[in-house]
Amino acid sequence: MDELNFIIITSENAEEVFAKMKENGKDPVLFGLSDDDYEILAKNFAHIRAYIIKQNATLDEYRKYYEGEKNE
Amino acid sequence: MFGSAKLVMIGIVAIGLSGGAAYVYKLKADNVILKENNIKLEESVSSQQAVIEQQKKDFSNIMEANKRLQETTVTLAKEMAALDDKFNKTNSSGKKRDIGDLALNRTKVIEKIINRASANAQRCVEISMGAKLTEKEINATKKSQINSECPSIANPNYIPY
Repeated sequence: MDELNFIIITSENAEEVFAKMKENGKDPVLFGLSDDDYEILAKNFAHIRAYIIKQNATLDEYRKYYEGEKNE
Repeated sequence: MFGSAKLVMIGIVAIGLSGGAAYVYKLKADNVILKENNIKLEESVSSQQAVIEQQKKDFSNIMEANKRLQETTVTLAKEMAALDDKFNKTNSSGKKRDIGDLALNRTKVIEKIINRASANAQRCVEISMGAKLTEKEINATKKSQINSECPSIANPNYIPY
């Protein structure tokens, strides 16, 4: 997966952050989340991950049942 | 007269003998059928026993699989609770962690922390989608070496302490 980078912007560092973005050739625009929404995003991501892990574990058990341990 | 009585006697004995012989043949034929039936019955019993054995084996395998899936669910619930704790941990003075407040006061540090956590979380998704573990992930045994977002799948040799 491609790496992504969070930038924390506050009323105090906003000018510095935007200036740095311009300096690095990036559009001085950010898609923001509040601290509470960031927590929700992190938990939603964890729920999706847990779902994938459970589905994989279930598929593994079916595979073991029908194909045997040796084909793992 | 005596001669005809003798003939009748011989006739009765001959009929008796042939009847006896026919009865023995019938018994032999019945015996063959009975033996065949018995063999079929034994085969049927042994195949039924094999089915019962297989059913017992299947039941045991299904129970073990369910147990493993239950363990996975419990582990995932623990990891979810650990994530919640990262955001809402209560310190010794009873104050709940406020990530927003921390980000205001220690912006760069928190930025670094959430970017590392984000990279770890992405790696967890990669692993859950089938990516192979690296040597570093396999050999991680210390808390400082693990992927704290999903040690159950990322660090098989890590035992929580």
